[in-house]
Amino acid sequence: MPATSLRPPGVSEASFHDALKAFTDIVGPEWVLVSEEDRHTYLDAFAPGNPDEHAPAAAVAPKSTEEVQAIVKIANRYRIPLWPVSTGRNLAYGGSAPVLRGSVVLDLKRMRKVLEIDAELGYALVEPGVSFFDLFDALQAAGGKLWISTPAPGWGSVIGNALEHGLGYTPYGVHADTICGMEVVLPNGDLVRTGMGAVEGSREWQIFKYGYGPVWDGLFTQSNFGIVTKMGVWLMPQPESVAYCLVSLPNVGDLPVMVDTLRPLRLNDTINATYTITNPFRSIVDGYSAQGKSRNDIYTGSGSIPLEVVTRELAAQGRGIWNATFNLFDRDKGLDLRLAAIQDAFAHIPGAKVQTRRWHQGEPIEQWMRVQPGLFALGIVDWYGGPGGHMNYAPVVAPIGKRVGDLYESIYRRFVEYGFDYYAGLLNVGQRALLVNAVMFFNRNDPEQIRRGRELYRVLAKDGTAAGFGDYRAHISFMDDAAEMYTFNGHALRALNEHVKDALDPQGILAPGKQGIWPRAFRGNRRPS
Amino acid sequence: MRMRAGLCGLLMAYTVAVAAHEPAPTAQQSQGKALYNHLCVYCHSPGVWGTNRLAKRQDKDHAVLESRTDLTASLIRTAVRSGIGSMPPLRKSELSDADVDAIAAYLTRQPR
Repeated sequence: MPATSLRPPGVSEASFHDALKAFTDIVGPEWVLVSEEDRHTYLDAFAPGNPDEHAPAAAVAPKSTEEVQAIVKIANRYRIPLWPVSTGRNLAYGGSAPVLRGSVVLDLKRMRKVLEIDAELGYALVEPGVSFFDLFDALQAAGGKLWISTPAPGWGSVIGNALEHGLGYTPYGVHADTICGMEVVLPNGDLVRTGMGAVEGSREWQIFKYGYGPVWDGLFTQSNFGIVTKMGVWLMPQPESVAYCLVSLPNVGDLPVMVDTLRPLRLNDTINATYTITNPFRSIVDGYSAQGKSRNDIYTGSGSIPLEVVTRELAAQGRGIWNATFNLFDRDKGLDLRLAAIQDAFAHIPGAKVQTRRWHQGEPIEQWMRVQPGLFALGIVDWYGGPGGHMNYAPVVAPIGKRVGDLYESIYRRFVEYGFDYYAGLLNVGQRALLVNAVMFFNRNDPEQIRRGRELYRVLAKDGTAAGFGDYRAHISFMDDAAEMYTFNGHALRALNEHVKDALDPQGILAPGKQGIWPRAFRGNRRPS
Repeated sequence: MRMRAGLCGLLMAYTVAVAAHEPAPTAQQSQGKALYNHLCVYCHSPGVWGTNRLAKRQDKDHAVLESRTDLTASLIRTAVRSGIGSMPPLRKSELSDADVDAIAAYLTRQPR
């Protein structure tokens, strides 16, 4: 076994050597990855800082659930912290890199079977290595009767994205809501199936979430309580028609009225899929990056791009200042009714424009439908000239115009103070929530900019917490910060999470620090608040 | 499927155009082409972001990887395993060494 220069914390060289040898006996020498070149591929490719802060000591890539169980048992024997990743493409949140430096990445990418597609009941059963590309191809090969909901970059894992509370743009766009039934390897190596999967021989595993007793599926999302090795995912039957909607409002102060007008339309399901409101900067950036342009093509000054530069450019392009986009899914006659209601709702707002287009069954899928995975969104990261990356602060807020407007403006003031362009999308989650997804792009070759970006995240976290807001997801460098936002009763939720963690994982071998949940053995590694 | 159909169309047109000058592809090159179309085209087909970035950093003649004659297998392996610019590295679990070699064989098939 080749030597590696890094070891898990508290593990002797001899013990680590023995653990790697035991991993090799399980998966074969090819799939215990310890060389510098191999370990480099598991670093955070978009790290906001030195990627070595979260460097893994090795990676091990099993092919089956049985191999995962065997690896977990070895990890317990030698107290090796494991960091499971599905495809490791959770970029901007850490990619495949662990919170705890020296952990061993448990790479599940080789487990990439689409185990079942049921077109009659509208679901698939998949392994963690299945990407959105893979599932899309499998569904097309099966006749194309079912559609996926995909996030912007499609190379991520269907399971991983749902577990991390990712979002798509169809009626099935809240991916954690589409989970139905899991197979999970627990931190002691035991295997469980949730919901109806707990009934031996059940054929109802993927159609009823609840089974009997507590519903565990949610506990395995954004956590470190188990390793999901199979998951059911509900899929949308292909609709008869799809309509695209772009709603534009002309004034800088129109965000609250946009939010208040969309809210009832989403609540009563007139708008039956995720909507996104793009702020003026994001409208410019998205348009520019699609053409291969970057910041210097619009502005060469330092600091945050002045709002008037952005609004002047949008006006020159004939575009609105605030733009909301969404798709509607229905029969043609249903789309007529939905679109009429949307037109009526915006008719009273001066300068409002509603533009639409349609797709009908049998026509080729178009990019605007956002039901086919792609990677076009990645071009945005080079905004500052590249090689780029980004950090996100995305507090959850109710779609109440004034509340959203106040939160949006408070974040904007901080972006200007710290000299960042304010790229923000207000992403709708289900029928009652928004995320103000404020994105800090940075140039990975600019350590000073990265330092300011990290400071900006932390000041936004403090501002937001003081105002009663919490982040929905966080980069591995900020997982403790995000957990810190959940303050009620002396962080009682974090205490509960760690109580459960210690019960399920007494050795603390599974993903220590994920979501700010530290097992007793590693609790001293929590970032001081 | 317009995007993929469009890409396939471009590839077919290109294949026809060069067919008279190129020997029949080897099995490894054919495998490399299939892998390229499964993994790489999303960033490296004409008009998408990887191609746009290369056009900006170098020039238009070096932007579409499939049209280049100056690529080497060594450069391709390094780019895949180490990443380059904003392209992250690809791991052995998603693309084996043999797969990388096949893609390299496909992209270096034209005489230099």
